[in-house]
Amino acid sequence: MAEYTFRIFRYDPEKDEQGRVQDYTFEVQEGWTILDALNHIKWFIDGTLTYRRACRHGICGSCGMTINGKNNIACETQIKDLGTSTITIEPLRGFPVIKDLVVNMEPFYDKLYAVKPYLITRTPPPTDRERYQSPEDRAKLDGKYECILCGCCTSSCPTYWADKNFLGPNALLKASKFMLDSRDEGFEDRVNCIDDKHGIWRCHTIFNCVEACPKELNPTKGIVELRRLMMRGRL
Amino acid sequence: MLERPNVIKHYRWHMGTWAWVLHRITGLALVFYLVLHIWVIHNISSGPKGFDKVMGVVQAPLFLFLELGLLGCVLYHTFNGLRIMIVEFSKEGCEAHKMVWGAMMAVAGFLFLLGGVPMFVHFLHSIAG
Repeated sequence: MAEYTFRIFRYDPEKDEQGRVQDYTFEVQEGWTILDALNHIKWFIDGTLTYRRACRHGICGSCGMTINGKNNIACETQIKDLGTSTITIEPLRGFPVIKDLVVNMEPFYDKLYAVKPYLITRTPPPTDRERYQSPEDRAKLDGKYECILCGCCTSSCPTYWADKNFLGPNALLKASKFMLDSRDEGFEDRVNCIDDKHGIWRCHTIFNCVEACPKELNPTKGIVELRRLMMRGRL
Repeated sequence: MLERPNVIKHYRWHMGTWAWVLHRITGLALVFYLVLHIWVIHNISSGPKGFDKVMGVVQAPLFLFLELGLLGCVLYHTFNGLRIMIVEFSKEGCEAHKMVWGAMMAVAGFLFLLGGVPMFVHFLHSIAG
């Protein structure tokens, strides 16, 4: 048992003009995650604290937030691993705040829809089996499909902070997943969207997305793969 | 909805942020240097008087010291630029981007010492008289 202070961003749209900071100090148990601490506050200290959570084991992507100045999902962040006795918890940056730690993810989903994140086909599938994909082609998608849409990457991207039209690491990783899929035939449907000044060419390879991703994916790799794909097409 | 929420703690600066910010700063510094460079080569060709005037400025101790900074800017910008190219064109480089940065900075640091030490000695001579 050790005592920790949680400095949490609070904003009530009905009362507050601007966000404020509220401190909660209490003893946490061994093995608690940030989500456990937030639950403790909500259930036993202050029921007005608002945040998103669902699965509490790193699958749903609901509890993305900025913890000690770095994005992560609360349920996978061990309090002990942070190494500080004062822990700052803020809503994801770059998105409008609805209440406390809850942000409006619409801009994030809009970017995702823009790249058409589904398999597009023009030829009919074989009648006797599913569309074939060789193990080698399937292996190319490793590190691209595991995304849980928590928003940690796009929200950590300085380029996205400066340019809200930038598709962002998440949408571009999704685009790379489908554009590099051997079964996909939707190149023309996506190319205009990603081959744009707000698309792949906007990325400055700052790698904040890679540092933030709780699933340890590499969106930058997806982006540079798309850049190489575009360049090969032009040469 | 709060469009621009206040920040409690600034976002952590990872290696990539430092690399990018330094790349911008050194890039801008080199643009400024190019202007200065054009001024020098413009005036240096205007005869003996112009030559002496320009040399009087660029051989001043302050300039000899600033040249160390110039060397640093050029080396950082060159080798971080190479890192960016490696990250862009090699899959392994993108995965091991931190290692690539470390290797590039080691080479840049070595070259900085190699060129910087004689330049610093020259600077010390100039202030000693």
